[in-house]
Amino acid sequence: MDKQNWEPKIVAFVCNWCTYTGADLAGTSRLKYPANCKLIRVMCSGSIDPVFILKAFERGADGVLVSGCHPNDCHYNAGNFHARRRWDFFHKLLDFIGIEKGRLQFSWISASEGKKFADVITKVTEDIKAMGQFTSYKKMNSEFTVDFPADLAELEEPVLQESFDKETVK
Amino acid sequence: MNELIKHAKELLEKGEVAAVIGYRQVSEKRTKPVIITEPEETRALVFNEYCLNNLAVYLTKARIKLLGRKNNKSFKLAITAKPCDVHSIVALIQENQIDRDKIHIISFNCHGVVKDFGFDFNGDNLSSKCITCETHKPLYYDKLLGEVKETPQARDSALERIKEIERMPHNERFEFFRSEFDKCIKCYACRAVCPLCYCQRCITDKTIPCWIETSSHQRGNFAWNVIRAFHLSGRCTGCGECDRVCPADIPLSLINRKMTIEANNLFSFVSGRSLETPTLVGSFNEKDNDELFM
Amino acid sequence: MDEKIISRVDLMKICKDVIDKGNTLLTPGAADYYVVKDISDIILDTSALPSKISHKSYVFPRTEPVLYYKRSKNDVQLIDINIDSKKIVILGAKPCDANSINIMKHLFNWDHSDEFFNKRANNFMVIGLMCSHFDEYCFCTSVRSSPVSEKGSDLFLIPVDINNYALKIITEKGKEFISPYSGYLKPGDEKNSKLITENVRQPEAAFDSSEVYEWLGENFESPKWEGVGNLCLSCAQCAFVCSVCHCFDITDEDYSYTEGRRMKNWDGCQFGNFTLHASGHNPRDIQSKRYRQRVNHKFRYYVDRFGEILCTGCGRCSRGCPVSIDIKEIVSNCNDNQKEFLK
Ligand code: SF4
Ligand code: SF4
Ligand code: SF4
Ligand code: SF4
Ligand code: SF4
Repeated sequence: MDKQNWEPKIVAFVCNWCTYTGADLAGTSRLKYPANCKLIRVMCSGSIDPVFILKAFERGADGVLVSGCHPNDCHYNAGNFHARRRWDFFHKLLDFIGIEKGRLQFSWISASEGKKFADVITKVTEDIKAMGQFTSYKKMNSEFTVDFPADLAELEEPVLQESFDKETVK
Repeated sequence: MNELIKHAKELLEKGEVAAVIGYRQVSEKRTKPVIITEPEETRALVFNEYCLNNLAVYLTKARIKLLGRKNNKSFKLAITAKPCDVHSIVALIQENQIDRDKIHIISFNCHGVVKDFGFDFNGDNLSSKCITCETHKPLYYDKLLGEVKETPQARDSALERIKEIERMPHNERFEFFRSEFDKCIKCYACRAVCPLCYCQRCITDKTIPCWIETSSHQRGNFAWNVIRAFHLSGRCTGCGECDRVCPADIPLSLINRKMTIEANNLFSFVSGRSLETPTLVGSFNEKDNDELFM
Repeated sequence: MDEKIISRVDLMKICKDVIDKGNTLLTPGAADYYVVKDISDIILDTSALPSKISHKSYVFPRTEPVLYYKRSKNDVQLIDINIDSKKIVILGAKPCDANSINIMKHLFNWDHSDEFFNKRANNFMVIGLMCSHFDEYCFCTSVRSSPVSEKGSDLFLIPVDINNYALKIITEKGKEFISPYSGYLKPGDEKNSKLITENVRQPEAAFDSSEVYEWLGENFESPKWEGVGNLCLSCAQCAFVCSVCHCFDITDEDYSYTEGRRMKNWDGCQFGNFTLHASGHNPRDIQSKRYRQRVNHKFRYYVDRFGEILCTGCGRCSRGCPVSIDIKEIVSNCNDNQKEFLK
């Protein structure tokens, strides 16, 4: 893909009670922000395991955002405090082994901060755009890959997608 | 070493402990762990510069804990531990894996151990943890043995290595660690020897869903090594066992050491040094560093 | 058997040619068998101990895809793997290691012939090198081998002086390999090399493998297993570095909802969940049973089935064991029921 048209893939792990609700507010307030972020709703920022983040990178994310309630606002009282210690460490570790700080970002966004949500998403998207594709991680994926022959590529839609659709319609 | 044998024998004879976990000499420059339950067998016990193993790992094993239960009564287990191994024991007590009352710690005034079996004991062959060791006398013990001796001087080359890596740009660093981790054969010896890797079921053994791929390709190795390092961040006591046993010679202690330095910088905490302070990841402070968050 | 003399310089010329032709040249280092890029790295040291990790990953990789799949609503399509079958030449294989592929071959051709293994194994060319040094862990002489054993080698090198090697041509494959280079070969005399091999210091046999075989058959429930079970940490480092351990695990890795690959990965019988059933039952639930399996598989079951001991006596597993459990010590203490394995 040429550089101009490349759009970063960003995964955002957001907590149900604050950031996700904040995203809702951004939507209902008709605020504009880039569409690069795929939101994954979890119950608490304290329940986001670092393996989620590695998995996101493995599956081709160029950046990850982790966001939860402001300190002292946690729905479960202390989940975000525990998370904060964990991320302080984890991001130092990633930095040491060569994953730049900007690839993994953090924020506190409350349910009333629709504007902040839009701003954070815009900023993260721009940062990651500036950094470019996360090629060093993606290179590891290509160790054993195969180009599927063209006749295989035209299979019907996947089973899982279908059941997934049904669920959301329900 | 007669004192050690005498003490261990006494413990077993009086029935104060059910077993003694210690070292025995197998050749001139090699020792091996041994678990002793009969007073007579204590004559094999030794303590010297070749006692490399961190025996605290045995305290986490169910079958060893079972040794402490005889005839429906529970007995103490005695363990011979270097001062640095005592840190591991402390960390295990802090994480509620073992009871202080159930452990009888026999520790020593220690002047360092060699980096691996078969080397002569001198400054060049000093284990890297001993170069920076600040506790030549154990912090906690029930019996202290051995005489105080001078530790040989040596250069802290591990710290230099860390500094060197930190000077590299990110992509070079990534490449360095990727190629190091690529050597991993996923034998999980690093996990098996670590006293703090006591999980009944390690995350890498949980395959539905599969968070860490069990395949030992670059991606799977990278995920395993990063997560292992992360799980030990702020918990690792720096015993260096993982690094010693890794058959692929991956410098695991570089990462462990770096994270220990970070824990100290961020939270002024070093694992396994005190029975009073709570564990780092099991607690929090409202005033923790918030700079990271937008 | 044919014996020739080749100078080190000429041997290196052959190596260079092997690399120039695009083939893989392996040679043992301290940590691993590694791919030679520059022939000046080649040491060919008869007094080196076996490397920490064996060369088995070149014939039985630690991880490899066996097929790719793509699924749709009602169908799954499979894509076969074409493994690249480059010629691999191992130069200076230790005599213990040289035989490992032959030992593993039985297993991979038993009820099903494993094309991945066979293709690679057939492309292997083993140039063994006599061994002149052993340590407390070596025990090749106890498992029907020796530091001068030619078993498993296609060609075998014996240093006759500083600059020259006696080159024994053992197999047809070896003959075929060396024939284009016959210009480098000078006629040799078997008497010379025999004099050398006869005088090589050999480790004393530590046990009699047939006695061990008998003992294992009768002592499945021996209380002695418990002692070693208590010490062993269940890491399976021993199986992973071993040149003949061959257990593997099959696992599927998805790229996405619809596509993925099926991987074949090393596994080891010392892991607690190696035998864990889906029901939750684990027939080898404690470490002593797992260790018993290790010894039994190597010295009894494999002998029963294929007539070979599943061990080359290299001592890697013991050298690398975190708690220094020595398989030689254990096996040699078998016969004496009075004696514990490890005391
Ligand atoms: S991670 Fe390594 S150095 Fe740290 S406690 Fe575990 S075995 Fe020791
Ligand atoms: S790597 Fe993590 S999950 Fe696995 S045993 Fe160690 S601490 Fe537990
Ligand atoms: S000990 Fe080394 S080779 Fe084994 S799993 Fe750990 S890092 Fe990988
Ligand atoms: S290497 Fe040693 S501790 Fe690890 S499983 Fe093998 S015998 Fe047990
Ligand atoms: S069991 Fe041990 S000594 Fe025997 S071949 Fe395997 S690694 Fe070598």
